[in-house]
Amino acid sequence: MLKSLTARAIVPVTVAVTGFVIVCCILLYTIMKTDMTNETIKYATNQAHTIVKSTRYAMLHDDRDTLQNIIKNIGTQEGVEHVRIFNKKGLIMFSDVGEELGRYVDKNTAGCIECHSTPVPTATLGNMKQARRYANKTGTEVLAITAPVYNEPECFNAACHVHPAGQQLLGTLDIGLSADPLLKYLAVMRSRMIIFSVMVLMVTIGGVAALLRRNVFLPIRSLADFSAQAASGQLEQLTSQQGGEIGKIASHIRAIAMELQQVRGELEKRKKGE
Amino acid sequence: MPDRRTNHEQLREETLRKIRQLQNKFTIELLALAFFILLSVGALSDFAFLPPLSDSLRAALGHPPSAVMISALLIVYIFSAIILILSRMMSGSSRAGGLSHAGYLAGFYFFYHFSGTLPENFWAVFVTGVTILGLESYHIWIYCTEEIEKEREVLENIDYFPKRRKDGK
Repeated sequence: MLKSLTARAIVPVTVAVTGFVIVCCILLYTIMKTDMTNETIKYATNQAHTIVKSTRYAMLHDDRDTLQNIIKNIGTQEGVEHVRIFNKKGLIMFSDVGEELGRYVDKNTAGCIECHSTPVPTATLGNMKQARRYANKTGTEVLAITAPVYNEPECFNAACHVHPAGQQLLGTLDIGLSADPLLKYLAVMRSRMIIFSVMVLMVTIGGVAALLRRNVFLPIRSLADFSAQAASGQLEQLTSQQGGEIGKIASHIRAIAMELQQVRGELEKRKKGE
Repeated sequence: MPDRRTNHEQLREETLRKIRQLQNKFTIELLALAFFILLSVGALSDFAFLPPLSDSLRAALGHPPSAVMISALLIVYIFSAIILILSRMMSGSSRAGGLSHAGYLAGFYFFYHFSGTLPENFWAVFVTGVTILGLESYHIWIYCTEEIEKEREVLENIDYFPKRRKDGK
């Protein structure tokens, strides 16, 4: 079956077009997914820094109640899975979840290990390294950002504070945002790309197959039937009237078949005469 | 001057040798496909069975190219490989490049692996490999089958004529 003329014409085109379209779609989807994830991380990092900036005044005045209120209110926002601020030692000072307060975060978990992998922790990280992705207890995919709270002259010069000037980092804000909107958008984009690819494949392969069937396979099949009948001595009218090369072959076969029929007729006449 | 019997034997040996060569040609294509599938099984787990590269070797290899650059190269590669194979099919050429394609595809796997983006791009390389090696194998299968049929016809003729002489026809 795979050796037939139809297969030889259709199989390579189908494999080549399908493979090429699928590879292009996979690569395009991967690139778009990476770009969109990076953009979401940038947006989330900006949000984290905005929160740090908006809590600055309360921090400078050591207004812990206001700070806890800000954190709690941010935690009620739709799409915010968790928000907490912990100090340099990893002790959670403010959190939207009351039970977390006073606990230590594990420095070996994702989100902490990026800075604490070396004996001397790194004080600065790029946007992409500040982000981590994981599924929380409820199964929601979370995009979490850690934003450092740096020690500034206003902090170590304030009367109420005890931070020495040499301390670079005061603590860290950790905010987790639901990745559901991003995943939903990616799923929609993926399904659209699949539909588009299937349509392109159907049009290309279907079009090529239809044209080949109409212009090549059907005329050749009728020629094959006609030549088989002629070989067996039955000369019928050739149904397909085609121009071009196939038309020429048809007229030649017809001429040969008619000549063959004449010769056969003459032979039969001679036999009868004898 | 060699007699006709020796010539027939030589021709027969030559034909049989050609048939074996054609069968080997197709086997090599299948081996290339099998090698690629084995490599893909390893790539699916991001070559977890391989020991991690030492820092010195990593430094010697230099900075890996970006994933976007490798992907662009992959597109160029699949496009040119398809054009090349289709043109070989069109001209009825006997040339086959299954093993070299398996080598190029292994290169793509390793480049993505060293740039740390193999899990995201595995399926792109896998589909590229299946497409190219599938087309190449189909082309070589058709070519070898046709050529073997021709050689068998030659073999039938070789076997037929001495028989006729022997029968005195």
